[in-house]
Amino acid sequence: MADTPTPDRTLDAKGLLCPMPIVKLAKAMKELESGQVILLEATDPGAVPDVAAWSKNTGNPTLAQETVDKVMRFWIQKA
Amino acid sequence: MSRLLYVHTGGVNQPERSATPIYLATTAAAMDVEVGIYFTVNGPTLLEKGVAEKLIVPKHDGHGAPLRRFIDQALDMGVKFYVCQPSLDLHGLTQDDLIDGVAMIGGAAFNDMALEADRVICF
Repeated sequence: MADTPTPDRTLDAKGLLCPMPIVKLAKAMKELESGQVILLEATDPGAVPDVAAWSKNTGNPTLAQETVDKVMRFWIQKA
Repeated sequence: MSRLLYVHTGGVNQPERSATPIYLATTAAAMDVEVGIYFTVNGPTLLEKGVAEKLIVPKHDGHGAPLRRFIDQALDMGVKFYVCQPSLDLHGLTQDDLIDGVAMIGGAAFNDMALEADRVICF
């Protein structure tokens, strides 16, 4: 993806299964300042709908998403 | 803040049913939902001290994780655990037999929580 935001932090959740990517994302997000961006990397097959649901409910928007070789990357901004 | 209340009736006799409500509640807490689990019928047997460490949540490959890991994740994320006395009596348990972090409520408090919650999810 050409225009992905530069993340302030990267969270490697590859290999972790539901619910751990979301739990780790929620914990990491608490340590960010408003406006900062986290890059979440996950391989859990449910990650795309899960991150979408998490963004919708917490109000922290997913700015961009890509999937390359079964690794899903999400750029998520702290609201 | 949204509220969810899970009702967990599965006990130590059904390891394959033991973890799901707990990790769904953990996920809800991670979504900034206020969430509790009411352990009733056989549910309180999962909370007896020393039990969850030995109860393996099965996986088809034989490499299951102990239930205690799911419980600790839930408590760490702020999920509230509730039991009521009659379902402890059913198994000869008292609150002293249970792990730390479990609150005792009664039927009226449970019903009030159900009325106040946005959804109640039963297992």
